[in-house]
Order: sequence, then structure tokens, then C-alpha cells
Amino acid sequence: MQNYISQQNFNALLDSLISQGKRVVAPRTNAGTVLYEPLANAADMVIDQLPRRSGKEAFFPLCEDIMTYQKEGQKIELQDIDPTRFLETVLVGVRPCDAAAIPVLDAVFSWDYKDEFFLERRKKTTIIGLACTQADDACFCTAVGLTPADPKGADLFLTPLEGGGYACETQSEKGEALVANNKELFAEPNGYKPLPLAEPQTGKFDLKKVKAWLDEHFEDPAWDSIATRCVGCGACAFVCPACHCFDIVDEGTEKQGKRRKNWDACGFWKFTHHASGHNPRDQQPKRYRNRIMHKFKYYDDKFGQTLCTGCGRCIRLCPVGIDIADILQDIDKIEVKVKVEENS
Amino acid sequence: MTQPIDTSIYAAVTAAIQGEAKRILSEGQVTAIVGYAAARRKGSAQPIVISQPDDAQKLIFTPACVNNLAVYLTKAKKEIPKTGKIGIVVKGCDLKALAGLMGESQLKRENLYLIGVPCAGVLGSTIQPDTELTSDSIAPKCTECNERMPPECDFVPAVQVPVNQGLEKKYAAEIARLEALTPQERWAYWKEQFSKCIKCYACRQVCPFCFCEQCLCDRNKPQMVETTPRPAGNFAWHIVRAMHLAGRCAGCAECERVCPMDIPLNLLNRKMAKELKELFEHEAGFEVQEKGPLNSFTDKDDQSFIK
Amino acid sequence: MCENTNKNIYLPYLATVEEVIDETPDVRTLRLVFQDEQVRENFSFRAGQFAEYSAFGAGESTFCIASSPTRKGYIECCFRSVGRVTEELRRLEPGDTMGVRGPYGNSYPIEELFGKNLVFVAGGIALPPLRTLIWNCLDLRDKFGEITIVYGARTQADLVYKRELQEWEQRGDVRLVKTVDPGGNGPDWDGQVGFVPTILAETAPSADNTIALVCGPPVMIKFTLPVLEKLCFGDDQVYTTLENRMKCGLGKCGRCNVGNVYVCKDGPVFTAAQVKAMPMEF
Repeated sequence: MQNYISQQNFNALLDSLISQGKRVVAPRTNAGTVLYEPLANAADMVIDQLPRRSGKEAFFPLCEDIMTYQKEGQKIELQDIDPTRFLETVLVGVRPCDAAAIPVLDAVFSWDYKDEFFLERRKKTTIIGLACTQADDACFCTAVGLTPADPKGADLFLTPLEGGGYACETQSEKGEALVANNKELFAEPNGYKPLPLAEPQTGKFDLKKVKAWLDEHFEDPAWDSIATRCVGCGACAFVCPACHCFDIVDEGTEKQGKRRKNWDACGFWKFTHHASGHNPRDQQPKRYRNRIMHKFKYYDDKFGQTLCTGCGRCIRLCPVGIDIADILQDIDKIEVKVKVEENS
Repeated sequence: MTQPIDTSIYAAVTAAIQGEAKRILSEGQVTAIVGYAAARRKGSAQPIVISQPDDAQKLIFTPACVNNLAVYLTKAKKEIPKTGKIGIVVKGCDLKALAGLMGESQLKRENLYLIGVPCAGVLGSTIQPDTELTSDSIAPKCTECNERMPPECDFVPAVQVPVNQGLEKKYAAEIARLEALTPQERWAYWKEQFSKCIKCYACRQVCPFCFCEQCLCDRNKPQMVETTPRPAGNFAWHIVRAMHLAGRCAGCAECERVCPMDIPLNLLNRKMAKELKELFEHEAGFEVQEKGPLNSFTDKDDQSFIK
Repeated sequence: MCENTNKNIYLPYLATVEEVIDETPDVRTLRLVFQDEQVRENFSFRAGQFAEYSAFGAGESTFCIASSPTRKGYIECCFRSVGRVTEELRRLEPGDTMGVRGPYGNSYPIEELFGKNLVFVAGGIALPPLRTLIWNCLDLRDKFGEITIVYGARTQADLVYKRELQEWEQRGDVRLVKTVDPGGNGPDWDGQVGFVPTILAETAPSADNTIALVCGPPVMIKFTLPVLEKLCFGDDQVYTTLENRMKCGLGKCGRCNVGNVYVCKDGPVFTAAQVKAMPMEF
């Protein structure tokens, strides 16, 4: 089923959702930086820009309370967080590289123990995806099995049209409900042409070949040459739509406080540091290796998925120009060489 | 109005750096050189450490050579071997950091071979490295730079740096704007900026002066600064950092450039530098100074704050 | 295993500190009783599993459950105070409240040990992860063959569970070989003097129908595994535990992995064969 919605009606849809008390999260400018943030008005939306941080924070916030404690003498009282207070949310303008990461994250937050903080928000969120019409030479979604028009992860998928407005495809019951409840805002498609899709300008690489190399090269001099320049910040992990490592900390006074779950990053030296002083990843290249291994081997081993959607944020924002697409292309080439040697 | 910046000398600078790097590596004058190399993305550059003369041809200098490479010489970067004499490609702004590190007994001049870069300016952001250098895209620090030829280096390519006329001094202008605000307005400004902080510590990790074995913010006995990316902890972190850098930071502005959330961190550092200049006539520069004004006391110090 | 009734998987159970036992000047045992009656009755675990222990306001710390699953009504943990959380836990007195999440992770395959001889090899503070199993086995003594315990620490003062060492020594059905590093022995020392791997080699337990269970600091493990090999123990006959840093204990937070193995879910108990197949990341 295809439907057309004009930009004006789309904004009206969002405004109507806001007025119904729903949390409408969309790209919006905050102090000069475009981020996914709750909108007060649809007019504030900056839908034509990829936000600096990914859409994951709609489900997995940078920081969230997971309980509170209160001490009274020897007694302690804990207060659970009530997940029913999480608001019904519509996450808007999510490009394929961000939307596709969300089902990837479902795997880790729902296997075995269920993380209700993630899953409850997930349940209450409708995702409006957006086909991507802008790419640069940091984008590499097509190299990790996606396309700029991939609706994976979206409940309703929009394709921008020439002359404005969107073609809408529903992808799930949530998407269907959203359209059905707002029928009057949608029209029949009438021959509009979609805008040309983005063309990521990054060369491809073969994920299977990359994984085959990673399977065999935990120890390899390449890690030093790749990551000696890494300065050990968390920028790559924090802007990544798929990175999901977190810390758990208590903050408060002697008497009362909160336990919080905060984003964490395997690039930090502290991440695996034991109180005893021992650190299994005692050098930066070992930490960077874990980042690549987790994304292209470990997550695949465990969940059969790649923990990267090619959004390119880590490439654009790495303080020292580490380029994950370049690294993967290089690995891809090494493997070719090995194969050629075997055949000759 | 946007004006182009003349970077035509960079081709000659690149050739001279390559030649000198090859020579000093071949002659065994240095064990390694920290410089810039081209990377995959069009126009991009990234730090590189080379130790073979043949790799000298990888070195470049372009408007995307933004990093302050001094960070790699500090003890915080354990992965870079500190044996023997090390060559380093430095812009004037980076050289000030090296002078600071020497003053703090972190580096010795005799262990360094300084390849100075005659610099017409670099990009303020490398998110899109294939950007033409103009009065708009140039790093704000470059609009206030008066050391385009780094002094007292072991080698500086013999080229004349073109003078950029009439660039607006971006930090001075922004500081003046903020100083004119009421305290409440300034508070609101920084509150909004710090609300974006995600505690990725990129600002700390690229800073040549953040070489502490263990940052105060990574210690938890006691937990001086909340690790959570929330207003209290964000404010505490950035204020602590500005205080620790006061009198030391010479304005390479790497913290600001790398901030993935675009927080104008160098404004804090420049404001502190301005205060220190006014209060103590102190300026972090090319001169190796053993003690800054905040860790020394003289009877001439302003004591009007004691009431 | 008891089904955690909390929907919030990060929410701990509250437990009262019933007893505080100083094992060494800086190692302490806490005996804990769950405050909720249902939890107290239903909480069950297997030897080898771990938990996350909360000192509210400081955070959580990961240790094994050091008591035996055969001893009902309480659990024990044993820790050295080295960090923020353990220092706070150390401040707790009988009657105080703390938090416990768990049990997590896999366990020793005790049923597979039935009918076998057991050799426990431990160093220093790493006795607790074996002590849970030692008592479990001693409480089911008939099901096992010979039981040998080789335990050492740097000095006499660093030996943990001193009362229990005495008890094991006095039992006729356990062979306890205790040792301290050279120089760590006082005038009253009646045990061996030497490093654990050396003393293990001298003790020379037969590998025949025997399982070895080894816990200790990385350096002890490194030198103990070759000794066991020499004594003809196959890699499947040797078990150990890994102790990577953890936060969630639930397979989510992403820091305890050794290669693609998550210590919190796939471990903490591994055979030597499994450990040898892992990259050096622990």
C-alpha cells in the first residue's frame, strides 16, 4: 500500500501527535547542533539533516535512572522505575542507517535477560523512516548490506518526492495504525517522482571476507598501525547508532540517590580496568581492536548480525581521522591477497 | 563576506617536510617522526608515525592537518615509543604546547627535532575535509594567529607565508559578546552548550596538557565529578578542565575542534588566558616557563579577592 | 534457579548483613540474609555462580557466591577492599542493608564430578570461588573420590578461611596441602613453604579419574596449568574461573568479553581447553 503525504500535512500529523500528548522526537537544532530531540512544534524539525547523534537514544538514552535508593539508619528502601511512565513516542525522520540499527540492538537487549528500559520504550515507539537523498564519502551503508532506501527498522517509511511531500509505505502494524488514524492527511499517489537517492561514495568491502580475516587475526601487527593514533576518547562509540555498551553508577548522597545507566565506550582505558590495577586491554590498539571485533565478528558470532550500519558518523567525528571504512577495505584487500597466494 | 585563504605554499611546505624527514631518518638523527599523512576521504589527513626514510613521502601539509601532534609525545600516549630523538611536524600553535610541556618537565628540547610549518591556516572542522579554506571555514584560532612561522625550530621550510588581511578575530569577538551579557544570560548560554556534552572526553584525550596518569574525573575515591552526562557533572567537568588549563593552554583549540557536540570549549580557555594576562601579565607562548601563575605565588599577586 | 521476580533486571534484592568475618587484614566475608521472605526461601544457585553486590551510593561490585548451595538460608561473599564499592561494603556492620543481584553465569558441572577424585588448587584471595564447591562436595562427601586441596598465599596472614583450613585439615576425608610463599612463613607455620605450582608438583596428585579445579591470580594460573599437564591432566580435566570486569552481569553492558566469549554469560567457569582457545584478553 502506498500513500502520499504533503510536507504540510506531514507537519500537521506531527503537530496533532504532539497535541495528543505523544513525544515526537525528530532532528532539531539544539545550540547549533542537530540532534534527535522532542519537538514542541513540527516546524522546528530539520528533517534534511542527519543528526549528530543517532536515533538509538530514543530507546537507550545517554543517561537514565534505573532505580533510586533511600537510607534510614540500617534500612534501605529501593524505588523501582515505573516503565509505564515512558511516553508513547514517534521517532521521525530516521534514515536507513539509523533505523536499521534499532532491530540490531533488539538482539542484545532482549536475549536472555530482558532489558525493560529498552524494550518498553521500543514497544511504545513508532518509527517513521526516511529514504536518504544525501551522502558523502564517509557514508558506507551500501557496504554493510543496506541501501539508502532500505526500510529496515521503520514502521512507516517515507520517500521524499520531487516538488515536496513523501511517498509513504507502511512496514508494520504500528505504521498502519498511524496512517489509519490520520487517513485524512494522506492522499493517493499521483505520479510524483521520488528524489534521487543518495549515493554513498565509499568503496565496498565484503563483510564475509572481513569476518574471515578477523576470525584468524586477533593478534596482528595491523592493529598497531591502525590504532596507535587512537587517542582513546568515546566519540566514535557515542555517535554510533549500534554501539550499546554502558556503565552503571550510583550518584547521590549518603542518604539518598539514584542508580544510573550511562553510555560507555570500549575505547576508554577505564572500561576493562580492574580495581586491582590489572587491565586486560592495557593499550589503545587492543581497545580499538575490540571495537572492530565486536562490530564485525563477535556480534555476528552471537546474533548473526553486523553491529554497524555504515552511517559514517565515527569517520566524520574521529578526532584523529580514524576511518573504519578504510580499515575494512584494507582488510578486504588483505584477504584477497591471501586467496591469490593460495591459488597460485 | 567570504574570502579565500591562499594556501598555495602548502605544496612547497609538503615537499620540504618530506625532504627533511627523509634526510633526518636516513642519517639516524631521529628514531621516528610524527606528522600528517593523507587519508582515504578526499582532502583528509590523519596523524602518522613513521620510522623508515621511505615513508617520508607519505607526509603532507594541507588545510586538513588540524591535529596538535604534541599530544602523541606526552606520557598519556604510551603507545608511541619515547626512545631516542623524535621528529615532530609543528604549526606555531602546536609549538606553544610543546614549550608548555617542556616547562612542565614532560619533554626535553634535546629529545625533539622540530619541523616547523609555515602556516596560512587550517580548517576549523574536518567533518567534511574536502572544504576550501576560506575566512568562513578557517579555524577560529587562525584568525587570531600571529605566529605563522614557528620560531626556534630545527627546520622550517623557506617559504613566505601570505598575510591574510582583515580576518575578524573570532574569539575576541565572541568573548566580547559574552562579557556583555548579564550573568544570568551567560549562565543560560553555557547551560545550553553543556547540555549537549556526552562525556566522550574527546576534549581531554586530544589535549597535550591532559597528560595526568589518572584524570580527576576517572577517579572515584572520592568521586569528585559525577561521571553522568547530566548538567551537574557536565558543568563540573568543563569548569575543572578550564581551571586546570588556565595559564597552560596556549590555544591550539583541539578540544573545541574535536567536540562532537560543537561545544565552543576554547572560549573558556581563551577567557581564562585573558584573565591571566590581565591579572598576572602571564601568557602561554613559545617561551619555556617553569611555573605558571596559578602554581606560584609572588607578593605582587592581586589579593583583592581576600575580603 | 530462582526466577528473578523483578521485571527491572537491574534492581537488586535487599539483604541484611548477618555476620562480618575478617579473613585477613583486608579481606572480609559478609554473611547475608535476604530481607524478603520469598526471596530468602526461593533464592537458589549453583556453585560457581556470581552476583552483583551493591553498596548503595557507591555502586556494584562483582564476586562469586562464596558459600555452598547446600547451606540454605544465607549466602556469603568474600572480597578484598581495593575500590570504591568494596571499601563501602567493608564499612557495613551486622544489621546493615546491602543489595544483591544474581545468581548469574554458569557453574561447575557438579554432577559430572560425581565419582571422581578432585584436586582444588587455589592462591590467595581466589579460594572463595572454589570454597563454594569444596563445601558443596564435602556436604555430599559420599559422591566423590579423594579430595585434595592445595592452597597457598603470599604470607600466613594472607590465607583466607583460616578456621575452615583447620577444619579441613582435621577431617580424615580431605587432604589439605597449605603453603606460603618463601619468606611468608612465621615461626608457628606448620605447612609447606613454596609457590603453589611448585607445591602442586610435589603433591603430585594422580590424574587418573580426577578433575582439577584451579583459581588464582593470572600468574599462578600461568604456572599451574603446565604442572597439571605434566601430571597428565587433560585440558578437559581442568576447570578454572575468569574474573573480567563486569557491570551488568547480564550479557548487555559489553565489557567482560574475552574475544567473543562473554564471561558473565558463558562463564565464569571454563575448562582449561576453553581458556586456551581464547585470545589473551583476561
